[in-house]
Amino acid sequence: MTPGKGAQGQGSPAALFQDWLPAAGRSTGQSLPWLAAQRVQARARVRELGVPSPKSEGWRYSSLSPLLEQGFRAVGEASGEAGSALDPGALQTLLIPELRSHRVVLVNGRFDAALSALGTLPRGVRIGGLRDSLARDPDALEGLLTSVAGDGSHVFTAINTASLDDGVVLLMERGALLEEPLEVIHVALPASADARGHELAPPVAHPRLLFSLGDGAQAEIIERYVGPGGGPSCTNAVVEIALGRGALLRHRRIQDEHADGFHLSGVYLSQGADSRYEGINIGLGGRWARTDLVMRFTGEHAECDLRGLYLAGDRQLLDYHLDVHHGLPHCASRENFKGILFGKGRAVFDGLVYVAPDAQKTDAAMSNRNLILSPNAEVDTKPQLEIYADDVKCSHGTTVGQIEPEMLFYLRSRGISAGLARRMLCLGFAGEIIDGLGPAALREHVTEQVGARLEQAPL
Amino acid sequence: MSASTADLPTSTPAATAASQYDAIVRSGYEHGFVTEIESDTLPPGLDEGVIRAISARKGEPAFMTDWRLAAYRKWLQMPTPAWASVHHPPIDYQAISYFSAPKKKDGPKSLDEVDPVLLETYRKLGIPIEEQKALAGVAVDAVFDSVSVATTFREKLAEVGVIFCSISEALQEHPELVRQYLGSVVPATDNYYAGLNSAVFTDGTFVYVPKHTRCPMELSTYFRINTANTGQFERTLIIAEEGSYVSYLEGCTAPQRDENQLHAAVVELIALEGAEIKYSTVQNWYPGDEHGRGGIYNFVTKRGDCRGARSKISWTQVETGSAITWKYPSCILRGDDSVGEFYSVAVTKGRQQADTGTKMIHLGKNTRSTIVSKGISAQHGQQSYRGLVRIAAKAEGARNHTQCDSLLIGDKCAANTFPYIEVKNPTAKMEHEATTSKISDDQLFYCRSRGLAEEDAVSMIVNGFCKEVFNELPMEFAVEAQKLLSISLEGAVG
Repeated sequence: MTPGKGAQGQGSPAALFQDWLPAAGRSTGQSLPWLAAQRVQARARVRELGVPSPKSEGWRYSSLSPLLEQGFRAVGEASGEAGSALDPGALQTLLIPELRSHRVVLVNGRFDAALSALGTLPRGVRIGGLRDSLARDPDALEGLLTSVAGDGSHVFTAINTASLDDGVVLLMERGALLEEPLEVIHVALPASADARGHELAPPVAHPRLLFSLGDGAQAEIIERYVGPGGGPSCTNAVVEIALGRGALLRHRRIQDEHADGFHLSGVYLSQGADSRYEGINIGLGGRWARTDLVMRFTGEHAECDLRGLYLAGDRQLLDYHLDVHHGLPHCASRENFKGILFGKGRAVFDGLVYVAPDAQKTDAAMSNRNLILSPNAEVDTKPQLEIYADDVKCSHGTTVGQIEPEMLFYLRSRGISAGLARRMLCLGFAGEIIDGLGPAALREHVTEQVGARLEQAPL
Repeated sequence: MSASTADLPTSTPAATAASQYDAIVRSGYEHGFVTEIESDTLPPGLDEGVIRAISARKGEPAFMTDWRLAAYRKWLQMPTPAWASVHHPPIDYQAISYFSAPKKKDGPKSLDEVDPVLLETYRKLGIPIEEQKALAGVAVDAVFDSVSVATTFREKLAEVGVIFCSISEALQEHPELVRQYLGSVVPATDNYYAGLNSAVFTDGTFVYVPKHTRCPMELSTYFRINTANTGQFERTLIIAEEGSYVSYLEGCTAPQRDENQLHAAVVELIALEGAEIKYSTVQNWYPGDEHGRGGIYNFVTKRGDCRGARSKISWTQVETGSAITWKYPSCILRGDDSVGEFYSVAVTKGRQQADTGTKMIHLGKNTRSTIVSKGISAQHGQQSYRGLVRIAAKAEGARNHTQCDSLLIGDKCAANTFPYIEVKNPTAKMEHEATTSKISDDQLFYCRSRGLAEEDAVSMIVNGFCKEVFNELPMEFAVEAQKLLSISLEGAVG
């Protein structure tokens, strides 16, 4: 931040963000000029953008103060030594037992080789930690890493780029096929005391994920954000996805942070011709979570299907921002997000479909439907269309409502208790999204989690 | 399409038709003429002296002068808004003349005393002032520039106690009413243009409908911008007392100009218990030439306050003119069971830009609102629907239905939708739908296969697209609106 504005003062917004960044010169890949240049540029951008004003359009409904009040510090800076340990026993409780996958575990953003279980990878598929990949074969990442996200849609992506140090890389060659899903488990640990027993500042992790699928490659990726709790933690993840011609990616993201978890994630997608992306975003946990999905088409006839489900209860804010840019003709996109709100839960949905002047024959449909179950819950939704081409089919729809008394009456007249009837109706509402989740083990896990959340909910 | 029709040279007639229509689209502005009469005009510029001068010339009570000055001081501190999807060069507020009154000979006491040149202008515009007494049901308070020069049917309205006059007259004759209600819906601090208007407004319309009275006729005002470089700052205040009903029509045309004219009006509606106000607008101001030069900047703040239970405010607008339209007729649904409606057809062609929509603020219980917005964008027209539906925590059982449809004609135009929906009550039912499409080839083919000319087919489809809104217009306006649409649009489709 510019000096002379009290920026040096403790607690000023700029100082807060300085703590989010690691000390310069300590991250991986210092010898790579292209990466170093990106980091420097991102640092400048963090200074330039600063803390978003509550009046800025993108942050209109989600106040940053709960996040900034925590005094988060970048991992590694805060704990002195990187990698707060997670013992394998604790990990077991966070796994989905029946789910067979190539498993990668990130602990506070750091790739943990000991906890990861990659198994045997098919031909043409490489999976690894970002730090290792940069050390071993940086050339494979040049031109991909940071190029999809670019400057990003807000300051937190710039912070992630400036702090870029570790994460996960998936590289698939032309025609490669990943039969079992890649499962990325982000574990957020709270602050631990240092050697002398001093309480440390809560950590913020900046994992960077890069998924690159060559022409015709097919994969399924499951990202799960979890944590044991016990103190505030923050994950500021950036996911970059590049799909080649005709590639297919099924991407499931389950945000199930603990009750004191803060979550920021930016997913940046670049879709080649004829490619297909199916993304399902489930928001269950966390105290304050913001997800940005930024979609770009680089070839014609590509399809993008974004679905989401969020359950926001007491003390929770779940915020989804979609930015779908149709810059080329003949592409299709579907956006279908549903929300259930109870207690004092708050949710924000801000979706934009942009159709550029030459993007004729674009087919886009956005839908956001919300169930409000309690008097203190709030939903703010803003589905936007910006259309500069005439031969297009674009629509959006939004609804906000409660459970129909007639439906409740119908179930109750068949001897079902009011609470169970409400849960059944909510699960039915959520089913449209959950049913799209594969593999079966994941679907069952999420259905269970949703059911459990609803059971706790004051319905 | 079936195989037998595949050989038909469908594209050729369409292409010829397109060029014919182009000619219609490029046709000049029908109402472009300037009436030369002497004007009593203040020199351009704006400072406290100008505001005092306006207030003095109009012989206003002291509270009004103070109110204007307070608004002006607040306005000076406000930033120019930049959030709308419209583009224009910065406006030089010092280059505008803030007062222009047609020169009067001791004030006209009857139509005979009105400047014959003025009457001629009205005749050209089709306002039948002289035939008004014979014209059933419509009283016209014609505003020529900034001062009302002719008001009719006053006596007839006075019989039932309805006050229908210019706001300047209202300030003289009913200062207590003006003082009580002016700025109570749109305060001077509301937004930049409302602030400017509050400081410098020169005239407008005042309507007061007493308790349990149904206004016996549709009230109507034609606004007309005339003197070059005169910003128009109209102020309209309509008060409907308990159980009353009034329907108000507003329509406008303007002569051709080279310089942009700023129009920043404020309209305030107040509906008390059980009252209903219906406010209809047909706006056809000069939109600028094909390069976007000239044309009116229409930055209007319109808001209705449903203060009493079971009150209703309905806005209907047909916006075909102006270089830039920036208006959001809104309803504050304060009273329980109150109803707000917004029906809009907006057309942008040439280089026109429109950022329009509504705000429905649900505060009372069982409040209902309906929004139907139809946008038609042709050539380089830029159009945005921007609307807010807010359901407050205490608004039990609130209901909203929103539908915004856009029709795109040509590949250089734009249609945007920016709805904001904020719901804080679980009993609310809120639906929002938006679609964007062009006139489908199937629809056109269907009509043409039944022997309709392409022009008629398009007209039929577009009118069908807008029907929901036209149905809400009073008879007189519905005819004018359809005529405006046909001039604006039929030609733009190929």
